[in-house]
Amino acid sequence: MRPFRRKGDVLVAKLGAAEVGIVSLLLDQLEQLLAADPDDTGGDPVVERLLPPGHVGDPETAADYRELTEAGLRSGKADDLAMVRATLPVEGGEVRLDAEQARAWLRTTNDLRLALGTRLGVTAETGAPADTDGEEGSQLAVYHWLTAVQGSLIDALVAGRGGRR
Amino acid sequence: MAGPLAPAWTPETVSREDSDLDRPWVTVVWDDPVNLMTYVTFVLQELFGYDEATATKLMLQVHHEGRAVVSSGPRERMEHDTSRLHAYGLWATHQKDA
Repeated sequence: MRPFRRKGDVLVAKLGAAEVGIVSLLLDQLEQLLAADPDDTGGDPVVERLLPPGHVGDPETAADYRELTEAGLRSGKADDLAMVRATLPVEGGEVRLDAEQARAWLRTTNDLRLALGTRLGVTAETGAPADTDGEEGSQLAVYHWLTAVQGSLIDALVAGRGGRR
Repeated sequence: MAGPLAPAWTPETVSREDSDLDRPWVTVVWDDPVNLMTYVTFVLQELFGYDEATATKLMLQVHHEGRAVVSSGPRERMEHDTSRLHAYGLWATHQKDA
């Protein structure tokens, strides 16, 4: 991976074919999770984190809020995910994003990090895995890789904002 | 929040019901082990138009104190703010101001 950098109005990174494969797989899994019947995913901590309660304290207020917003939240995430998928170079190569696509990438890479981080029980102190061979170690390595991708995209967006002023 | 100009006492004639209606709602962002500090700052600037110093201060409050009030106003607007924060994956809730 070559991290995101700003080139004029475009944000550019380079991903290897294997990296694109991993992201595609994660996108498929996230899509399935978001599209699943809420009855089947009830109590799943990942779904709970991606679609969190908007109010704590009064159950009725919390239920009203969920009723009001959950469908929109799910469809927004699905739209972001589709946009990320459309900008992935299947064989590996450059990713080029305009401002809107960059927001979709920010939100979706964050959702993937939230999903992986919740599954792995990541805490603020979790560092790079000592061993990336096992399943958990390799998932943690993917998590840290996504952190680097998202971090570079944030830095490139922030740098551009400063430059325009 | 108590300050030097806050009244030292609340008149007893103000019923609890009335003060509940007067209190605005707030949107709270909670600390989270996954969201990057730069990301939280970016999102607060993006959604609320805060300058970098204000957004950074709120982000640090979330990080160190576990939560920060990021907006306040009518309930409907706080519901909207909560959903916009959820779209970005921040852990947010709204409640009547305490």
